[in-house]
Amino acid sequence: MDFTIRAATLEDCKDISRMILELAEHEKVSDQIKITQRDLEQDGFSKNPFFHGIIAEVPEHLKSRDGHTKVGYSLYFYTYSSWKGRAVYMEDLYVMPEFRGKGIGQALMAKVSQLGLAAGCNQLNFTVLDWNKSSLDFYRKQGCWDVTSELGYHCMRCEGDALEHLAQGDL
Amino acid sequence: MANFNLRKAEPKDVPDILRLIKELAKYEEMEDQVILTEKDLLEDGFGDHPFYHCVVADVPVEHQKVEGYSVIGFAMYYFTYDPWIGKLLYLEDFYVMREYRGFGIGSEILKTLSDTAVKNRCSSMHFIVAESNKASIDFYKRRGASDLSLQEGWRLFRIDKENLLKMSAEE
Repeated sequence: MDFTIRAATLEDCKDISRMILELAEHEKVSDQIKITQRDLEQDGFSKNPFFHGIIAEVPEHLKSRDGHTKVGYSLYFYTYSSWKGRAVYMEDLYVMPEFRGKGIGQALMAKVSQLGLAAGCNQLNFTVLDWNKSSLDFYRKQGCWDVTSELGYHCMRCEGDALEHLAQGDL
Repeated sequence: MANFNLRKAEPKDVPDILRLIKELAKYEEMEDQVILTEKDLLEDGFGDHPFYHCVVADVPVEHQKVEGYSVIGFAMYYFTYDPWIGKLLYLEDFYVMREYRGFGIGSEILKTLSDTAVKNRCSSMHFIVAESNKASIDFYKRRGASDLSLQEGWRLFRIDKENLLKMSAEE
């Protein structure tokens, strides 16, 4: 299939926002989205962006049933490992269902890897839900390993009231 | 001993930061995994676009329990992004030397970080903990942290440099 992978621009935020919602629906948690298209524009495309994006686009004659040519995306940012140094974190990777199985997901991930290596990163990290068998299989085929299983690392979160109390010094 | 000072790390703290990173890795039985050097830490933390931020805890000379060391605790963190809820603070490393535990230094560091998260309009603070590290898990759960791996099935995946190179070469 004919497609291109390129850096996301401000104008892509409308489609990124649409696909974020599609991905959340796929993970069955779309009611948790608080971020708007405007937030994405500010947070990703100002002087100090909090994330970077890449887009997979198809030519007009291959557009989706709903008329979209932007058919996949990845959001990533740079992190730091106190053991290994610079790392890249892939926050989202998504390809619209009707465009899967054509190498677009792999191409998006290859691009994130290239950009990460160019920035001096030694590893690429991301999280996957344990019930998401098709994604788990895809990633294992790319040579990824499950840090949670192998090293027993659990992802933890402190938010909302708990975060506020922590900031106040309450126990 | 209640006399300690929390402050933003400076370039001169880099040797102590690396020392404490290695002590924490040793505590996690992973000290041979640390390949980071003082040069990396200096470039990556104190250049134009820092990959991480650090707070350190130091004690005045007269309270040094371990000869020669005034920096006795640290936390390394950076900002990440969740396209559903926006900015997050990610806690990469957090450690207080054994001789200085039990004096509230850890709690004070965590309070400072939570305050930083709230001030930067982060909705949440994230970090990983090894499931075998019961003392740390209890410390965090007492402060309202939730275990996303257990509760929501999140698994952390990683691709190391060798496979990153392979993946980035696939077009």
